[in-house]
Amino acid sequence: MATVTEPAGDTATGPSGSKDTGSRGAGGWLRGSTVQALLVVVVLVAGYWAARLMGDPSWAGGFPTAIGDRFMAWLDGIYAWVVENRNDSPLFLYFFNYVSVGLGSAVVLINQFLDFLTWSGVTALGLFVSWRFAGWRVALLVLATFAVFALTGLWNESMTTLSLIVTAVFIALLFGVPLGILAGRSEAFYRGLRPLLDFMQIMPAFAYLLPFVLLFGIGNPAAAVVTAVYALPPVARITALAIREVPKGAIEATTSLGSTPWQILTKVQLPLAKRTILLGVNQTIMLAVSMVVIASVIGAGGLGDAIYQALSKVNVGQAFQAGVAIVMLAIAMDRVTGAVGHGTHVPHIPERYRLPVSAIGLAAIITAAATGRLFGLGGWPRDMAVDIADPVNAVYEWIQSEIGDFTAVLGTWLLNGVLSPLSALLTGSPWWLVVLAAAALGWIFAGGRTALVSAAAFVAIGLLGVWDNAMDTLSQVLVASAVTIALGVVLGVLMSRNDVFAAILRPILDAMQTLPPFVYLIPAVALFTIGRVPALAAAVIFALPPVIRLVNDGIRGVPASTIEAAASQGSTKWQLLTKVELPMARGSLLLAVNQGIILVLSMVVMGALVGAGSLGFDVVFGLSQNMLGLGLASGLAIVCLGLFLDRVTQGRRAHRA
Amino acid sequence: MSTQATESAPDLDATDVTFSVRNLWKIFGKNADKVIGTDLERADRDRVKEETGCTVAVRDVSFDVRPGEIFVVMGLSGSGKSTLIRCLTRLIEPTSGSVRLDGEDIEQASDQRLRELRRHKMAMVFQHFGLLPNRRIIDNVAYGLEVRGMAREERYARAREMIDMVGLSGYENARPGELSGGMQQRVGLARALAVDPQVLLFDEPFSALDPLIRRDMQNEVVRLQRELNKTSVFITHDLQEALKLGDRIAIMRDGELVQVGTPEEVVGRPANAYVADFTSDVARTTVLTARWLVRDAFPGERTDGPTTAPGTVLAQVLPMLAASTAPVRVVEGDTLLGYVGRDDVLRAIAEDQLNDVDQVAAIVEETVEEIPEGAVDHGDVTSPGDGA
Repeated sequence: MATVTEPAGDTATGPSGSKDTGSRGAGGWLRGSTVQALLVVVVLVAGYWAARLMGDPSWAGGFPTAIGDRFMAWLDGIYAWVVENRNDSPLFLYFFNYVSVGLGSAVVLINQFLDFLTWSGVTALGLFVSWRFAGWRVALLVLATFAVFALTGLWNESMTTLSLIVTAVFIALLFGVPLGILAGRSEAFYRGLRPLLDFMQIMPAFAYLLPFVLLFGIGNPAAAVVTAVYALPPVARITALAIREVPKGAIEATTSLGSTPWQILTKVQLPLAKRTILLGVNQTIMLAVSMVVIASVIGAGGLGDAIYQALSKVNVGQAFQAGVAIVMLAIAMDRVTGAVGHGTHVPHIPERYRLPVSAIGLAAIITAAATGRLFGLGGWPRDMAVDIADPVNAVYEWIQSEIGDFTAVLGTWLLNGVLSPLSALLTGSPWWLVVLAAAALGWIFAGGRTALVSAAAFVAIGLLGVWDNAMDTLSQVLVASAVTIALGVVLGVLMSRNDVFAAILRPILDAMQTLPPFVYLIPAVALFTIGRVPALAAAVIFALPPVIRLVNDGIRGVPASTIEAAASQGSTKWQLLTKVELPMARGSLLLAVNQGIILVLSMVVMGALVGAGSLGFDVVFGLSQNMLGLGLASGLAIVCLGLFLDRVTQGRRAHRA
Repeated sequence: MSTQATESAPDLDATDVTFSVRNLWKIFGKNADKVIGTDLERADRDRVKEETGCTVAVRDVSFDVRPGEIFVVMGLSGSGKSTLIRCLTRLIEPTSGSVRLDGEDIEQASDQRLRELRRHKMAMVFQHFGLLPNRRIIDNVAYGLEVRGMAREERYARAREMIDMVGLSGYENARPGELSGGMQQRVGLARALAVDPQVLLFDEPFSALDPLIRRDMQNEVVRLQRELNKTSVFITHDLQEALKLGDRIAIMRDGELVQVGTPEEVVGRPANAYVADFTSDVARTTVLTARWLVRDAFPGERTDGPTTAPGTVLAQVLPMLAASTAPVRVVEGDTLLGYVGRDDVLRAIAEDQLNDVDQVAAIVEETVEEIPEGAVDHGDVTSPGDGA
């Protein structure tokens, strides 16, 4: 293991590599860098107190905001220009506006079509399609989902959300699949595309929003485009992988029979890659579901908007209703598209009956729709909904009265004892010291190049003029990440020890990972009302599942023969864990840390919607007050933070690949 | 002994040659052109690798494949044989040299023309089958016809015929994954035969199969070859397979052809110590025939011995010699070719018993020297050999 961790030929092998000769192994490497990281923190704290004692001279304070202010003003100017010229400039007149109108109409058209079918027709369509492609179990789930849409009184909102998802997924696939095919067939194209996709995947969803508002205005078109862009990476990446994984032998054999490149693509590569590509489509759809909800911030209607409105009024009951609808939507979407990809549980229909079965299905859908229209139905009537908002609110009141004091105490302690000091440390220290600390951490954990990237990211944040807010967000991310990783490692280790616990936990984790991040805000608000603490709680819950899973997979992935050998030499269970399993699962652990932190960041930013303030709030505020400069600058700062956190926690893993 | 010289210099007249390969090179790596035409051309692989970073896979290979024969290329892994056969159909682009199929230079063919050739004139069978797992057997077999644009009914009829021919009737609608390895390779064979190619290219087709199934498949190839009269190029690392199938065998080492000849020539008169080592485990009496040892009668020798055909292997000649002190008369039709005596067979057996390669080579060389100049098959051998 020790030999693997030291990348040969890396220009900037960490100091730990040069100090000892690799005899300490992975744990030693980790200890070495931990000590160094602590040293960096100590220096930072010392710098903070020094600045304090000197009475906060101007050269030792936060990042000067002059440049940032000018930058924001400049961005505001651009925005003003765009608003002014949206109907004159040929670029908008002949491109963006067309796209905007086209997409807007697409969403409206699909929505009208669903409306035209009436609720009975839509339900029949959903049932038949899900039964045909995913089996009757999934069809039942779809039925339950529609029932929830109807009974929560959110039928129309759900249809809007569905229309948005369909439009966005269509765009994402329209561009993503061809991109993936190109990348699958051309090595050069793949190498060009991959860093871009990597980058897109670490960008928090919130950071995507503003540029698209600039181009498409607020509303459904911008929401559709931003959702499509956000959802595109998985399908492009997985299509490329699937095409590349088609057995060379099959390609060679069909080439030797005189296939044209087009024939190779359509008769060999695409059919063989189909299942894998469908899994990519599944992931894209799930990302679209989560983004379409977030896009309510830029004016997308539907279920997301319902939550957004309810949260802004701190109406937990209403938010909960819409949340349940979204959760059902997400799970149903995942099951249907996942089953298509896996091809499991599909009803077996002999070839000659396939056409008749489809015809019967179509007839049933038409009948249902016709019946619906005959009775003058449309969406599910609101007065036939079961309003659970009030009972939920009652439960919420009860929770608040019962444990509200406790959570309030916990929240206050977290806020005053941990968050605020950390935030004060980061914002109150001389900015150049913070930049240096970031660079040092980058160097300790990942080498020289990352040190440069880290320093550049922090300087960029300063230049954007959002230093204080960014440092505040960073402090939230650090606290939530620490909690997430600590909890995740403990739970992951427990899960790897105990098969029963694992069997119980796994489906829960599965379900949690399909949910859009937005809905995690709802229980957090229920427990901690609004503020920074619920945002942190939501971030921890949101980021926990992948961390637990990665830790568990990593430990379970340790070869049984190695454990056997270590046990035969008399290791205790604790020794096995700390000396064999955890070091050998190091790759998974590092990945877990990386994923955990990136997810926490994306959620903490979203926490602005429940009062977490900072960068996320600037994005929302910039949007709502037409202060695009502030919003864009905050969005870019989020990207910079993401880049820093990702690069540092990726460590040397990237070099090894 | 003049009958041994069955091999003549390659004839550049294309009419009686199917494949004509001349000075074929394949060098993998960026600086491939820095090797050919320089001193490195003759340098060994390791030196080339060290100085240019390139790997020489096929080195200056020339040979002819005649219509209707099975031409076996045999070598160990890494000898470049798989690269060689891929160069014949340009699945791998050769670095230099020419490959002519019926006089047409394949290297010069446009993409369009190359596809035509692949669709109509040559078909390949692969070691790992290369079947499409998502297609039914019949669609796999019909693939070559499908990409030609043949109508569905027509191609299915042809595919069924081929499936029948390789003995897989009833499996038309199965998927490749449901079939055993041997059956999958029958599908591969049927797929290649379906396009009715003039040339079949086999790339170690049976290496991945169990020994018993391998024997079945070898017999299948012999049978189909006899029935359909195709020309075949067959790659293998298995000497027994080469001896069994090959009308002629080319032995390859480090990208070069070391010897080209009939099975008897390769076993009975190895070109160098490498080939001798390679063939040392073969029981000569089962490969060499009466034709190989036939000679004129010695003065005063009895000429009333039993008669046998020239194609009889020595193992079957032995009992006749044991039964009579007179040498066996080798008769082809009504013509008396000559005699084979006890001493001749004994010497062949003695060569067989020698484990020491040098000793074999010594005896062989002695024998070679007796052959008149020009009768040896230098023509097809690009380099006279490195061990001699």
